[in-house]
Amino acid sequence: MKHTLKNVFHSPRFLVGFIIFMTILLTVLIYPYFVTRDPLQGLGKGFLSPGTYVSVYDANNTGTYRVELPEADDNRLESSLPVKDRQTMLDYLKAMGADVTGLDTSNENFHQLIEVWKANYSDADAKAKKYEGFSTQAKRNELRRLNNRLSTDVSVPMSVTKGEGDSATVSTVATSDYVKVTEVANAITLPLGTDNFGRDTLTELVKATGISLLVGLLAGSIATSLGLLIGLLAGYIGGVVDDILMFICNIFTVIPGFVLLILIYSALGTNSRSITTCAIIIGITSWVWTARSVRSQVISLRNRDHVNLSKLSGHSLGRIVLTDILPYIASYVVMAFILQVSSGILAEAQLSMLGLGPNPNELPTLGLMMNWSKLFGAYTSSNAWWAYFPVILVIALISFSLNLMNTGLDQVFNPTLRD
Amino acid sequence: MKKILALLLAAIMVLGAVSAFAEVADLPRNETLYFGGQQWDPVVGYNPLGDNMNNGLALSQAPRGSRTCMFETLYMYNGLDGQLYPLLADGAYTWNDSLTELTLKIKPAAKWSDGTAVTADDVVATWNVSTQIQNGTYTGYAPYIESIENVDGAVVIKAKLNEEGQPANPLQVLNFLTGVYIVQKDWAEGLLAKHNNDATAVRTDPTPDAVYSGPYGPYFANDQLVAFVRNDAYWGQDASMWGKLPAPKYIAHTIYKDNDATLVAFQAGQIDVNQQFIANVQKLWEEQGLPVATYSDEAPYGICATMPTAWYNMDVPVMQVKELRKAIAMAVDYDNIIENAMTNQSPSFVDVPRSVMNPTDGEQAMYDHEAVKDLQWAGKDIEGAKALLDAAGIVDSDGDGWREYNGEKISLKACCPDGWTDWQAAMNMVAEAGKAIGVEIIATFPTWDQYQTVFTKGSQTEYEIFMWSPAGAEPAAPWSRVRAFMSSEFVGVDNNWSGNFGHYKNDRIDEIIKKIPLTTDADELKALYTEATQIYLDEVPSFSLMYRPEVFHAVNETVWTGYPEKDDGNNIPPMDCTDGYGIAALYNLELVK
Repeated sequence: MKHTLKNVFHSPRFLVGFIIFMTILLTVLIYPYFVTRDPLQGLGKGFLSPGTYVSVYDANNTGTYRVELPEADDNRLESSLPVKDRQTMLDYLKAMGADVTGLDTSNENFHQLIEVWKANYSDADAKAKKYEGFSTQAKRNELRRLNNRLSTDVSVPMSVTKGEGDSATVSTVATSDYVKVTEVANAITLPLGTDNFGRDTLTELVKATGISLLVGLLAGSIATSLGLLIGLLAGYIGGVVDDILMFICNIFTVIPGFVLLILIYSALGTNSRSITTCAIIIGITSWVWTARSVRSQVISLRNRDHVNLSKLSGHSLGRIVLTDILPYIASYVVMAFILQVSSGILAEAQLSMLGLGPNPNELPTLGLMMNWSKLFGAYTSSNAWWAYFPVILVIALISFSLNLMNTGLDQVFNPTLRD
Repeated sequence: MKKILALLLAAIMVLGAVSAFAEVADLPRNETLYFGGQQWDPVVGYNPLGDNMNNGLALSQAPRGSRTCMFETLYMYNGLDGQLYPLLADGAYTWNDSLTELTLKIKPAAKWSDGTAVTADDVVATWNVSTQIQNGTYTGYAPYIESIENVDGAVVIKAKLNEEGQPANPLQVLNFLTGVYIVQKDWAEGLLAKHNNDATAVRTDPTPDAVYSGPYGPYFANDQLVAFVRNDAYWGQDASMWGKLPAPKYIAHTIYKDNDATLVAFQAGQIDVNQQFIANVQKLWEEQGLPVATYSDEAPYGICATMPTAWYNMDVPVMQVKELRKAIAMAVDYDNIIENAMTNQSPSFVDVPRSVMNPTDGEQAMYDHEAVKDLQWAGKDIEGAKALLDAAGIVDSDGDGWREYNGEKISLKACCPDGWTDWQAAMNMVAEAGKAIGVEIIATFPTWDQYQTVFTKGSQTEYEIFMWSPAGAEPAAPWSRVRAFMSSEFVGVDNNWSGNFGHYKNDRIDEIIKKIPLTTDADELKALYTEATQIYLDEVPSFSLMYRPEVFHAVNETVWTGYPEKDDGNNIPPMDCTDGYGIAALYNLELVK
C-alpha cells in the first residue's frame, strides 16, 4: 500500500492534478473562516467591477495627511478628461469649423482646449447643426456627457458640508489632502467585483465551488457504488442475474443521459430541486459505463485460480467478492470515481446554466452563477467578465485536475502504460 | 472509379446544401431598416382579420399603438401626450352630447394599395366582417360597439347601451379608433366568398395578397428573415398626411434564436431598432463605445408606461387579510428591484409614488398626490411591516421563526414565468422581504405554458402571489388600469387576460369604474381617480414592483440616424418606429454621414 502510494505520488501528472485540486479544496474550507458574510447577501447595486471601494462619507470624516505628489495635477487632468476625450473635442471643433490652431491633447494646452471648447460648444447647436461625424444621437450624447464633466475645475480646493441645518460645518479639502485607506471606517475590497444581484462574486464563488464539489462527490459516490454493485453482481454471478442486470444497463445506455437529466430536472420544478436531490439524480443516471467495465473485468477474474480456490474452500459470495475480486479492480474503481466526480460537477453546471439548477435562493452553485450572469448580459451588454470568467476557470480547473489525477493513476496502474 | 463517384456524390451534396440556403433576400444595407425583438419563428400570414399570423412587423393590434407598417388604423395613439393623431381619419372625431355616437371622416387622400380610395364603407365592412367571423376585433369591442354606419360618407360608430340607456363604455370606443386595422370592403367580402362564409377558414387564411393601405407591403419571408418593401405609391406622401415617403425602402427582421443572439446582432450593428430588455444598456455606449442610443441617455432611458405588478390571490383565505398584504408590500426593497432587476430602467417609487397611474406626466396629473400621501409606503420598512402584522395578531406563536395565521404556518409561493429574468429577480426579492418579516415566501418559476393557464383561471389556489402587468398607455387609460387592478367583473371568469387576476372584490370601486367613462368634468374625474387610488393603496389587492416601458426601444446608429429623442421637439414616442404615433419616426430617418 505504502509502495503504491509512493508510486502514485511520483507520477508528475497525478501530483500536479492533486495539488490543484487540494488548493481549491483548501480554499473552500479555509476561506469562510476569514470572510464570514453570507455569500448571497447583496452588497452593491448590480455589477461592480473588481477593486477597492472606499466610503466617500467616511473618507470625509477621516483625518487627512499632507502628501505632495509631483504628478498629482497631471493625474487629475488625465482622470477628469482622458486624452481620448480631448481628441473627440478637437475632432468636434474641427468638424464645426472652429479655429483649432495651437490646440492639441497635451496637458500644457489643456486649459486652452477647454476655453475654446466652452466658447464654441452648445448642446442645442450640436443638436441643430448635426456636424459631420457627430450627426448621430449617440455621438451627440457623448459630447453632452463630456461637456457636463467639464463644468468642474479640477485644481482648486473644494468645500465639503457636513451635517444639516444649524449644526452643519463646512470644511475645505485641499488638493494635497490624503486619507489612509486603512483608516477609513468603511472600505471593502472586492477582488472579483459583484454579480448582477450585487453579491460579492469571490465569496459566492468559493461557496459555490464547495457546493459543486459536494454535488460532484455525492453524485460520483452514488454512480460509482451503483455501478460497482451492479457490475460485480452481474459479472460474478452471471446467468439470469447477468442477463437482467445487463438488460437494465442497456436500456440506460440507449437513453441519452443528459436528455434524461433535463427531463427529470424540469419535471421536479425549482422548489424540489435541492442540492441533494440534484446530486442523487445525477448519480443514478450515470452509473452505466462503470457497471459495464466492472462487469467485464469481473468476468475475466472470476475463473482465476485464486478465486476457484476460495470457492472450493467454501467461502461465501460476499467474502469472495470483497477479498478476491474487489482488490484487483480497486485501482480501476478509484479512477472511475474520479471521473464520475468530474462529470457530476460538469453535469450540475450544465443543468444550472440551462436554468434547471437547484433553487437559486438558497445556495449558489457554479452553474447558477453562470446562469444569472448570462441572463443579465454579463458577456453581452453588461460587460462584466468578472461575473462569469472566474466561474468558468474554476470549473475548468476542477475537471482538469481530476482528469490529470486520473491519467496519473492510469500511468501507475496500467501495466501497458508503465515506463 | 470509386473515387470519382465519391467525389461526385460529395459535390452533389455540397451543391444541394448551398442551394438550400440560396434563397436569400437582396436587401441593400443602406436602404433597409432592421428590427430586433419583434419576430420569433417564421411568419404565418398577413391576414389583418385573422388570428395567430405570428407576423411581428405587420400585424400587432393594440389600443396603445397598433403597428401600422402594412395595415392602418383610423387614429394613432401617442403615449407622450395621450392624444390621438388622425391616420386614415380626417381631423378630429366628434361625440354627440350623450356619448352614444362618435362621428369621423376619412381622409380624401387615403388609398388602398390597389389604387382605390379608402371610404367609410371600408370601416363599416371591417366591423361587419369581424362580427361575422367573430375574430379578436369582434370579441374585444362587441360589448361596447353596437354598429358602425356610413352616414353621408362619414363613419358613425354607435355605442352599445346598458340597461340605463347610457353608453356601455365610450373609452373603449376610443380604443377601437387606435387599435383596429381597417380592411378593404371588396377584399374582405371577396375573402368571405372565397371560403363560403366559413369563419374559421377566413380567420386562418394567410392572405399574402391582402390589399393594404400602409406604406409597406410583403416582400420576402422564410424561416430566417422577413422583409417588407415600401409601396412608392403610398397615399401618405400626400400633404394632408406625412408629405413624404418613409425613409427606408425596406424594413426587415432577421429571425433570431433568442434574446442573446438578438443582442449580439444589435451590438454588431446588424439590427437598427431593438425591442428587447437590455440589462445595463448604458454600458453599451459608456464602456463599449457603441453608437447605441435610447430615447434618453439618462436613467430610466425610455418612457415607462406600465407597471409589472405582484397580485395577491384572494381565492386563498390567508390573502384576504389586508394587513398581511400591506405588510409584504411594505417590506419589499423596491430600490433594489429597480437597481438590480431593472438595472435602473425605471423611475423609483420615491420619484413617482405608487398609484393607479403610470409614470407619464399626463396620468400623474390626474389624481391628488397629497390626498393619498399618508397611505404611501416607500418599501424596505421591515419594522413597520412587523408591527402591522403583530397588531393584526399574525404572530409566530410556536417559535419556529415563521408567523402563523389561524394556527397554521403561512407559506406563500411567489411566481412568475421561468426565463423572465427581471421578473424572476423581483420575485426573489419579494421572497427575501418575506423572510425578513417572518412570512415564508418561496419564489417559484413555473414554465410559461403552465403559468399562463393557472393565473388566468377564474379561480385558483396554486399561486398566492404572482406577477403580471395591467394595461399600459392607451386612449382608455388610466380608467382601463383601475379596471384591470380591481374590477370585480373578472372574478370567476376563465381565460381572463384582462385584469384583476387576484379576484379582488369591492363594491365602491366597481361603482367608480362604472362612473369614470361617463364623466367628462375634469375635477369630478380627478376626485374619482383619487378615490380609486386611495382604495388601491389602502386595500393593497396588488402592488407594483417597478415601472417599465411598454416596448423597449434602443437604436444602433451605424446606418440610420434621426430617431426620436427626448426634448427633440418632434413629440414622437419611442415606440420602435412602428407602433402608434411612433411610426412617424420612419419619416425622419436619414443615413449616417
